[in-house]
Amino acid sequence: MNISVSPAGITNPRVPRQGLQDIADAGFHSIFLEMGMCCPPQELERAGMADKEEAGQPEGVSAVEQPGMLGLQFARMEGQCREKGLGIPVARAPYFLRETKRTDLWGRMMQIHEESIRYCGTLGCGYLVVRPWQEHTGFALSKTSLGSEWEANRVYYLRLAAFAREHGVMLLLENQCRWVNGHLVRGVCSDGREAAEWIDRLNEEAGEERFGFCMDVGVCNLCGQDMHEFACALGSRIKAVILRDCDGHQENSLLPFTCSVQGKQQTDWLGLIRGLRDISFEGELVLDMSGTAAGFSPLLRPHLISLAKATAEYFCWQAGIEAQLKKNPLVVLFGAGNMCRNYMKCYGEKYPPLFTCDNNEKLWGTSFCGLEVKPPKALKKLPQGCVVLICNIYYREIERQLRELGVENIGFFNDEYMPSFYFDRLKEV
Amino acid sequence: MAAGKNGQADRGLERPLELGVQTKNIVEDENPAAGFRMMKAAGFSCADFSLNYYLTNTTLYRFERNDFFDRSERELEEYFTPHRQGAKEAGIRIHQMHMPYPIYVPNGKQELNDYLWDVVAPKSLAVCAFFGCPYLVVHGFKLSRNLGSEEAEWEQTKRFLQSVAPAARERGITVCIENLYSNVGGHLVEGPCCNGKKAAERIDQINEQYGAEVLGFCFDTGHANLVGVDFEEFITTLGGRLKVLHIHDNDGVKDLHQIPFTFTKTRENTASTDWAGFVRGLRTIGFGQVLNFETAPVLNSFPDAIKEDALAFLARIGNWFSQEITRGHR
Repeated sequence: MNISVSPAGITNPRVPRQGLQDIADAGFHSIFLEMGMCCPPQELERAGMADKEEAGQPEGVSAVEQPGMLGLQFARMEGQCREKGLGIPVARAPYFLRETKRTDLWGRMMQIHEESIRYCGTLGCGYLVVRPWQEHTGFALSKTSLGSEWEANRVYYLRLAAFAREHGVMLLLENQCRWVNGHLVRGVCSDGREAAEWIDRLNEEAGEERFGFCMDVGVCNLCGQDMHEFACALGSRIKAVILRDCDGHQENSLLPFTCSVQGKQQTDWLGLIRGLRDISFEGELVLDMSGTAAGFSPLLRPHLISLAKATAEYFCWQAGIEAQLKKNPLVVLFGAGNMCRNYMKCYGEKYPPLFTCDNNEKLWGTSFCGLEVKPPKALKKLPQGCVVLICNIYYREIERQLRELGVENIGFFNDEYMPSFYFDRLKEV
Repeated sequence: MAAGKNGQADRGLERPLELGVQTKNIVEDENPAAGFRMMKAAGFSCADFSLNYYLTNTTLYRFERNDFFDRSERELEEYFTPHRQGAKEAGIRIHQMHMPYPIYVPNGKQELNDYLWDVVAPKSLAVCAFFGCPYLVVHGFKLSRNLGSEEAEWEQTKRFLQSVAPAARERGITVCIENLYSNVGGHLVEGPCCNGKKAAERIDQINEQYGAEVLGFCFDTGHANLVGVDFEEFITTLGGRLKVLHIHDNDGVKDLHQIPFTFTKTRENTASTDWAGFVRGLRTIGFGQVLNFETAPVLNSFPDAIKEDALAFLARIGNWFSQEITRGHR
C-alpha cells in the first residue's frame, strides 16, 4: 500500500513550500493532488457570472473560466514536490458542490477534466479521480434519476477515456452522496455492486482497463454504509481509498480516530479494515485530513502531520496483519488473556504459535486455548527466526522486558479489528 | 388482497390505498375498543398490532423476560379476544403485526434465546393468525460484528426464518424482514437487510424453497433515512416483495418515529427526508398494500387534548401519499 496525504488544509498552491516541507519531514513520500484547490466547487457554481466581485470571487486568472490554466496554477506546488522528492500518484479532478444547481456546465467540465488528465500525464500521476455526474431531482414527485445516470456517465467517461489513454492515466470513479435538502444520502456509485458493474462495462467498452474505483471512506460514513460489504463488492477495482473521518452527518475531512463522541468512534473502522483485508488491498491509501489540519496552528502542524503518518501506517498494518503473520512461520505469543484468545480464534489454526508465555506465574504450566503457558524465561531459547508477538496492551513495558531477556525479533499483535469476535470477554485472573 | 410474486401488486389501481397506524400508545388493554374507535375516527382503516409491546426490547436487552408468552395459545387468544372484537366493531383490520424483538439477544443466556426462538416466535404466529393478520414483521439478527460479515449474520437470520416458515405457510402468514440500523459509538449505521438487491434475492430463494410467499419485506422509512438509503431505488428493487411499511420521520441522526415532513436541515426549510423518492418508488411498483405509520412516539409528543388531532393529521398525510402514489395509474 502506498500512502499519500492531501495537502489541502496544510498548504496551498500559491505558497506551498512550508506545508510540503512539513509533509516531507513527517516521512511522506507522496501527496494527493486535490485539483479543486485551484478550481473550487464554490467557484464552479458561479461559473459564467458576469460580475465576479459581486459573486464573491477573487480577482485573477481562474481555471474555471480558463481550464487551460489549471496546470499552471499548480506549477509552484509541482516544483516544490519535485525538490522535496514527493511523488503525486493520485489526483482528483475538480468537482461540483453536493448541492449544485448547475446543470449547464457539461461542456465546461469536460474541458476542465481533459485539462486535469493532460496535467496528470505531465506529472506522471497514474490515477485521476473523476466524480460521476448525478442528477438532482429536488422534490420532484414524477422525475426519476433511476437508470438515466448510467447513460449520462457512460457517454461522459468514454469521451474522457481516449484522452486518458493518450496521457497514460487511469480514471477512478468515486462513491457519491446526494443532497436532499441538507441531508446527505446515498448517491451515484454508492452501491458497491452497481459501481462494480459500471466499471466493468466502461472497461469493456474502452477495450482496456482504463477505469477503476476510488473508495471515499467519508462518503461511506455519511451514508452509514457497511464498508466491509462495499469494499468486497468492488474488490480489485478499488485502486485508491480516501481515508477521512467525520461525524457521519456533516461533510468533513478529519484525521481518522479524531471524530470521537463521548469517547466513541463515529466511523466504522472495523468494517473498513475487514474490507481492505478481504480484498488484499495494495493500492493507494490517501489521507485527507484537511478539516483537522486547517484547524491547527502552522506551528503545531508538523506534529499533527507526523501523527497522520503514523495513523496511515497503522491502517496499512491492520489491513495487512495476516500478510505479516504469513511471513513468520515460527511464532510465540506473549500474553495469555483476551488478546491471545482472539489470536487463537482467528489465526490459531492457520498460524499456530509454538506456545504462549505470561508474567502471571499462576498460569505457568497450564494450557490456554490449546497453548502451553510458559514463563518469560522460556523465550531465551527460541528457534532461529522465531518472532515473539506481544498479545497484551502493555506493549512498551513488555517490549522492554523482552529486550532485557535478549529477544530481538519482536512483533505486536492487536485485536481491536479482528475478522470476528467472541461474544464475551474473559475476566481477569 | 392478492399480490404478484415479484412484480407489481395486483390491486385495483384506481382505489385509494388503505391507511394504518401502530396500536402502541393508542390501543390499551383495559379498553381496546376505545383505541380502535379513535383510529377509525382519525381516518384509519387498518392497524399495525404492536405485539412487541408485550415483551419489550428494553426488557430483553437487560437479559430479562416477563411471563406474557408463558400463556398457552388458548390463553393468548382469550387475552386478545377483546382486542379482536374491538377492532372488528370499529371497522379496523389488523393488517400487520410486529413480533417482539430481538429474537436473539447477544450475550444472553441460552435459556432466554431458546425461549424467544421456541416459544415467542411460534406464539407470535399464532396470535397473528388469531387476528387474521397476513403479515408479521420480524427483526433480523444483529451479529455481523461478532460473526465477521453480513453474510454470516444473514445465515443466522435465515436459520430463524426457516424455523418459522413451515408454520407461517400453514397459517397463511407472510413473515416480513425489515431494514434495520446498527450502532457505531452512537452513530446509527447500516444494519441487517439494508441492501435491497440482496434482500430481494434472499426473499425469492426462501419463497422458492417453501413454494409459498412465506417471506416478504417491511420497508421502514425512518431506518432508511438514518442510513441514507435511496428510497426510490430500494423500493423499486423490492417490487412486489414489499408487503408492509413503517412510515415515520427523523432528523437523520436518531430513530425518532415522528410525523413525515417535519424535519428540515436548511434555511429553506424543505423536508430533509426524501418523501418524493418514497412516492415515486411506490408508484413505480404499483404498491397496493397499506400506508402504515409507525409513529407511536407522536402520541407522546402531543398533549392529550390534541392527540386525536395529531392522529388525524397523520391520516391526512397518508391520504396525500395515497393520492400521489396512485396518480397516473388511474
